[in-house]
Amino acid sequence: MSTSLATRPPVTGVRRQQPRRRRRRTIAPYVFLAPALVLFVVFMLVPILYAAYLSFQTYKLEGGGILGTRVQVFAGLENYIAVLTDPELGAGFGRLAVYGIISVPLTLGLALLFALLLDVQTVKAKRFSRIAIFIPYAVPGVVAALLWGFMYLPGTSPFSYLTKALGWGTIPFLDDPAIFGSIANIAVWGGVGFNMIIIYTALRGIPTEIYEAARIDGANEWQIALRIKVPLVVPALVLTGIFSLIGALQLYSEPMTLKPMTNEISQSWVPLMTIYKMAFITDDLPGAAALSVVLAVGTVLVSALVLWITNRKSTGAVS
Amino acid sequence: MKKRRIPLAGVAALGVSTLLLSGCSGATGSSDGGDVTLDFWSWAPNTQELVDVWNDENPDIQVKYTDAGGGKDSSAKLLTASRAGNAPDLAAVEYTTLPSLIVADVPLDITELVTDAKDAYTEGTWEQVTFDGHIFGMPQDVGPMSFLYRSDKLAEWGIPVPTTWQEFADAAKAVRAADPNAYLASLPAGEFGFYAGAATQAGSKWWSIEDDTWTVGIADEESLAVADFFEKLVAEDLVNTDPLLTPEWNAKANSGQVLSWPSALWSPGVIEGVAPDTIGKWSMAPLPQWEAGEKAVAYQGGSSVIVTKNSDHPEEAAKFATWLNASEEGANLVLTVQNGYPAAISGQEDATSSEPPALMPQQADYYTLAAEISSDTIPVTWGPNVNVAESTFTDLLNKAIADGTPWRDAFIAVQDVVVKDMVKAGFTVSNK
Amino acid sequence: MTAIARAPRSSVRPSSAPGSRPSLRARLIPTIILLIGAAYCLVPVAWVFSAMTKSRSELFTTFSFVPGTGLWENLSALFSYGGGQYGMWALNSLLYAGVGGVLSTLVSAMAGYALAKYEFRGRNLIFFTILGGVLIPGITLAIPQYLLLSQLGLAGGYLSVLLPLIISPFGIYLSRVYAASAIPSDIMEASRIDGASEWRIFRSMALPMMVPGMVTVFMLQFVGIWNNFLLPYVMLSDQESYPLTVGLYTLLSKGSGTPALYGLAITGAAISIVPLVLLMLFLQRFWRLDLLSGGLKG
Repeated sequence: MSTSLATRPPVTGVRRQQPRRRRRRTIAPYVFLAPALVLFVVFMLVPILYAAYLSFQTYKLEGGGILGTRVQVFAGLENYIAVLTDPELGAGFGRLAVYGIISVPLTLGLALLFALLLDVQTVKAKRFSRIAIFIPYAVPGVVAALLWGFMYLPGTSPFSYLTKALGWGTIPFLDDPAIFGSIANIAVWGGVGFNMIIIYTALRGIPTEIYEAARIDGANEWQIALRIKVPLVVPALVLTGIFSLIGALQLYSEPMTLKPMTNEISQSWVPLMTIYKMAFITDDLPGAAALSVVLAVGTVLVSALVLWITNRKSTGAVS
Repeated sequence: MKKRRIPLAGVAALGVSTLLLSGCSGATGSSDGGDVTLDFWSWAPNTQELVDVWNDENPDIQVKYTDAGGGKDSSAKLLTASRAGNAPDLAAVEYTTLPSLIVADVPLDITELVTDAKDAYTEGTWEQVTFDGHIFGMPQDVGPMSFLYRSDKLAEWGIPVPTTWQEFADAAKAVRAADPNAYLASLPAGEFGFYAGAATQAGSKWWSIEDDTWTVGIADEESLAVADFFEKLVAEDLVNTDPLLTPEWNAKANSGQVLSWPSALWSPGVIEGVAPDTIGKWSMAPLPQWEAGEKAVAYQGGSSVIVTKNSDHPEEAAKFATWLNASEEGANLVLTVQNGYPAAISGQEDATSSEPPALMPQQADYYTLAAEISSDTIPVTWGPNVNVAESTFTDLLNKAIADGTPWRDAFIAVQDVVVKDMVKAGFTVSNK
Repeated sequence: MTAIARAPRSSVRPSSAPGSRPSLRARLIPTIILLIGAAYCLVPVAWVFSAMTKSRSELFTTFSFVPGTGLWENLSALFSYGGGQYGMWALNSLLYAGVGGVLSTLVSAMAGYALAKYEFRGRNLIFFTILGGVLIPGITLAIPQYLLLSQLGLAGGYLSVLLPLIISPFGIYLSRVYAASAIPSDIMEASRIDGASEWRIFRSMALPMMVPGMVTVFMLQFVGIWNNFLLPYVMLSDQESYPLTVGLYTLLSKGSGTPALYGLAITGAAISIVPLVLLMLFLQRFWRLDLLSGGLKG
């Protein structure tokens, strides 16, 4: 950022311009930002504040009839206490952690592997592989989960069909603990291509002279990949890592779609499913809002922690 | 960053709230020149055809139909829309969710608008939409519980059709012996409606109300006995707990590894949809009983049509709802076009003279039997938080099955959650 | 920062010295691994297209990858369902994703440009506040957004789905990174001295320079909106305005007593993938994800 500012002319140059022009220049960025800001405030900030407000409310019954009707009243921290003391929430975060530990490294690892292979000169059918690996990105998460669901269920699974034919019985894709791998697989399948392209384009940005020099020094392709290419794409890896992590914390549509197919997935299997359950099934909007706030704060903390660790590591590696 | 954000946010909120005040509130149902258009949400198949019939006959009250997706999800959507004042004029609602919607102030009390409809229904059916003497919906279809089974296989293996649950257990054992890959039935924890029905049949009342005080009976003696019974069946591997209507279950229904479906009168249409290879191989019988010789069964599933409080044309909406569900024409269309089992008596009478469902062309007495079953049903009162009960029940019973812990403990835990939820909401509960 | 500006090389790299030619095995293994990866990614796609050809009874009974005999039936059932609703949903998806994608790209480009090339009070505050939006899951926002739009009288219409999706924190972030690297400040300064207005500088100079980055943002937004389910599901109450995701969902989600329309949903899902794949094949020559790679330090 600082470079672009440094190229601006010195202050004296600005002062010479007419005042009207200068004023325009001060207003211009706000004008350019105006549409984004208005939309941001109306469609994100206000809803967020409204959710935060709701998290301090609750519904109470007001007489009349055998069922009565409900009114909204102030609840203080009641919802937060209820949400945070629910043992299922801790269990949900535990399951989320297992899922994240499987899916994030696998997505990034495979993406890096494929990107490095695409960058190897002698590899054939690059264009085909690149497009094929990228295609799952175009499949909506709900549809992806449905497709994989068919492929997991013993009665319809082609994999179980083969193992059955070989006399090994069916593969319990949807039972504990395989369910974690099965759900992670859907996310990996959908995410590898996108991350691969990011890393691959970062690789294409590295000047080839560096490799030439290494080759002259006697390094083989494997060593070049590990010692030169990987360190140079670390920023891309950190970026994809952070987004994969945020994506993992927001896991929801895959287990939600698989839920009807297995008894293993409960209504509150991961935190976002609990939010959905509260908001849409048990009609506890304030509880859902409180849990949303907890989850958002948690996401900020985890992302900050990861950034802090990688920053420390990468600056350490550079210096 | 967080701290500095607040003033900006405050100003923004202020700006938007003034916008809100000046904005017009959403209104449903447009009327131009005396003509009225009503919005109607449902999910039953071919509902558009029923609506078209009405629209042709009533140019001044036009109905616009939307497929809002089924059951639970659509009630969530309805709830959200109602909070915002955007609910449609009419909506299909499952009987189990009706009380929670009443608590959330969604349906209109239509007692005064449908005074002449009561006689179209049996007592038990009318009970499902009546709360404290007030009517909140028009029953559309009902699901008296029944037993759908593979008559070909059971005959082949010489297994008698069970009339009691004990015979059901024996039959389940015989099926396992005849074909190790097959089960008589799958009874997963997700089938809240089935377990509630079985408990009702045993004499339990999961919810009841007297003098504004609720009693919850999910963990009463009868229910716990039901829990013990089915736990034993599962533990002995006589029935399994695979979820229903998944591609897996459908494949098994097709291939003869699922041999019965204890559910309700709407089940033939479902099986026909997912297991078309098996047409002609199924038959329907009354649901097994806890005591030999008894006849009464509970309801599972079924829905009613409500008029919402957001409607600008409640009278017209009630008129349409009455025609659709309580009139002879409407009830007949529910039977013949929607393929549902009509709630109205006239529709059920029509059924007796019509062909059996496509799944069982060989069972000529299907609808006579159905009429017999629906003449002896146990009225059920659903509580204001069936949604909480259902999701808790499914989660806790699944956990009990997975961990091998007693089912009755799960039932007791569900009772506990349900009672606490009601108390928290402000209800008076006798057995807290 | 300058490192980001590097463009991907299209030219063929000089090959290594002939003497050090890797062995056949060393050359084949990478290709094989990549092809395995490609196969892994294509299996479910192949499955859905094979499932699409199966009749109702074949769907649950025959081996997954054996084509069935019901393709024509499935297609005609899909396109005649509800009086041709599927085609309507597809058009709606195209409308939401196309219009929403374009508007989102423009808004993001303007905001990113302002954030990258101007120094003004509150710049970082605005930037980080918007960026924080990435952390909020859409499901949290859906209900408050619905209540809000209802108050504005917009809920249920096309705008209720379009407007909230225009704002994209990630798109703004990318545009800022790209603008910072692709637009040289001295050219802007020179134009100013020539008397160009700020708007003119943006329109005729900055915008063309940002096109490759904007294609990326458009692509991401298009796919994001196309695949969005929850917002349109909550917002819309008229099936004439449903996008594909919500439409397919109503096929799968039915009440008790009504079978889910698996066959229709699968055929619909297969068809809905086609336009996206075509769009990607078309756009991939224009779009640039490399702007993401150095972005973190921006």
